[in-house]
Amino acid sequence: MAVNGPEPRLPRVVRPYVLTGGRTRARGPALALDATVCATASAPTRPLPSAPEASRIVELCIAPISVAELAGRMTLPVGVVRVLVGDLGSLGAVTVTPPTPIGAATDAGLLARLLDGIRAL
Amino acid sequence: MASVLSDRLVGSVAAAPVAMKIVVAGGFAVGKTTLVGAISEIEPLRTEAEMTVESLGVDHPGPVSGAKTGTTVAMDFGRITIDDEMVLYLFGTPGQDRFWFLWDELVRGAVGAVVLVDTRRLQECFAAVDYFEHLGLPFVVAVNLFDGVATHHPREVRDALSVPANVPVVLCDARRRTHVQETLVLLVEAALRRVSGAA
Repeated sequence: MAVNGPEPRLPRVVRPYVLTGGRTRARGPALALDATVCATASAPTRPLPSAPEASRIVELCIAPISVAELAGRMTLPVGVVRVLVGDLGSLGAVTVTPPTPIGAATDAGLLARLLDGIRAL
Repeated sequence: MASVLSDRLVGSVAAAPVAMKIVVAGGFAVGKTTLVGAISEIEPLRTEAEMTVESLGVDHPGPVSGAKTGTTVAMDFGRITIDDEMVLYLFGTPGQDRFWFLWDELVRGAVGAVVLVDTRRLQECFAAVDYFEHLGLPFVVAVNLFDGVATHHPREVRDALSVPANVPVVLCDARRRTHVQETLVLLVEAALRRVSGAA
């Protein structure tokens, strides 16, 4: 379990929005909490920002991860993660998949699959 | 550093799974974190969302209209892998009513909601019940068994909340995985019934 838990909550040396240069809004469309972020297979087209948080996000995104989980693991507010992910997206380091379309929640086939999955836990 | 990272990335990238979503709501300290933790495959994460003025829609009158820029709310997040291509997210809502506007984002596209109830503070779940009824979102009422003891029959809770007959009301010890699992099963069954027009 320890491997999966959040990182130890060390005192923050810098205030969160310093990491974003004071920006509170992401480039491009806002990222939903349940959007999926995934590192791209190729090298970023441009160098990553020097902040360690940028590399850390890319590492956490090697397997697809939701914006909410990313924020939880980074122990950073969602707003900050949204901005950082937006930046990494524009650098080609990560891709963002929008949340599953709303219709999925009323799709009988998907719901049946979900039900089977929960029963099998 | 960057090159080492890119080397590790090549060939390791999977497609994004279908992400389904269930919301866990209820009053303050009713056991939402416990419930998420009982079934999540990761330790529940506490995610801080900073609410800003532009997060507030014009259709949210009342208590939230006075919210200040930069209010931070915390929600619980859990994850369950359903199969190779499907994952279920559990979102525990912030307990305070005045964060309705955050619920809208959480609830959009959700399969349904679990409203967790403490019968000693039943009134604290009224707002959640009203909200999901109003949205037409499938939900179940889960009566948390504090200390594992049922103090009220589900029928009494159903009467007190006057929820429709198609809303399951169950006893659920939020610490027990099997109870939580059964509660989620009831919720998805209710969602399926609604889709197939049976409820």
